[in-house]
Amino acid sequence: MRELSVPERLGMFGLGVALAAAVWPSVTDATALAVPCPLRTLTGVPCPGCGLTTAAIALVRGDLVGAAAANPLILGLAGVVLLAMPLFGLRALGAIPPPVAWSVRARRRTGWGAGLLALASWLFQLHRLGVTEPDPLQLAPSF
Amino acid sequence: MNYAHWGSRVGAYLVDTLVVLPFSVLAVVFGGMSTDAETGQVSGPGPLYYVFIVLAILLNGYNRWYLAGKTGQSWGKKALGISLVNEATNQPIGAGKAFLRELAHFVDGIICYIGYLFPLWDAKKQTIADKIVKTVVVSA
Repeated sequence: MRELSVPERLGMFGLGVALAAAVWPSVTDATALAVPCPLRTLTGVPCPGCGLTTAAIALVRGDLVGAAAANPLILGLAGVVLLAMPLFGLRALGAIPPPVAWSVRARRRTGWGAGLLALASWLFQLHRLGVTEPDPLQLAPSF
Repeated sequence: MNYAHWGSRVGAYLVDTLVVLPFSVLAVVFGGMSTDAETGQVSGPGPLYYVFIVLAILLNGYNRWYLAGKTGQSWGKKALGISLVNEATNQPIGAGKAFLRELAHFVDGIICYIGYLFPLWDAKKQTIADKIVKTVVVSA
């Protein structure tokens, strides 16, 4: 398989998320399946990724405000998808060279950036959802 | 080293899940909870439920711990042409370490499953569990 850059990989993942978000409500309606946050279920504390399912579903339905209200990170992922698609196309056409590995410094800086973003998202979710009673039963399989 | 793509790893996991899925379905169909039509009382899972769940765990253990540990390939990884190896030696990691890696996946899951997304951007395409037990998944 052709090697992809990190934005392209995240872009592909984002497209998968969009596809999943488009069909997920039908799946939950038919099966009562759910993907609870393990951290929130076990401890009552939300995690930085809480609300992403709601946000993704809102976004594919065109509800930007609802998506941002549930988890603004989804807008970042949507941005990466928009950035990655032309990149993917240009690379497929051979207009740009294969991706090069990032330097250690670039990786470290990106890692710090991602960490700070996760921290900001965590604070947002703590503000939005607060700390609730744990409910480990939610993690038990339900059919 | 030619590290396996995230998509291949997800595909392998789905195949491994499909292998045990029939047992989970059978457990629910033949041994799941039932409601008494007259009293409305809900009874707990019957013995067949536990039989099928144990079979599912045994099959999963054979596939994902024993086979993946001994040969580097569970059925799913074999189907997708990828292999689980030690980061330093490039050799299969053994059943014990494969089991520990499975336990370490708890860390990948507890942070809203973000640990499972690490291969999308990590230099060695490792999950957090891979980093803990020092393994990589490579193209076979």
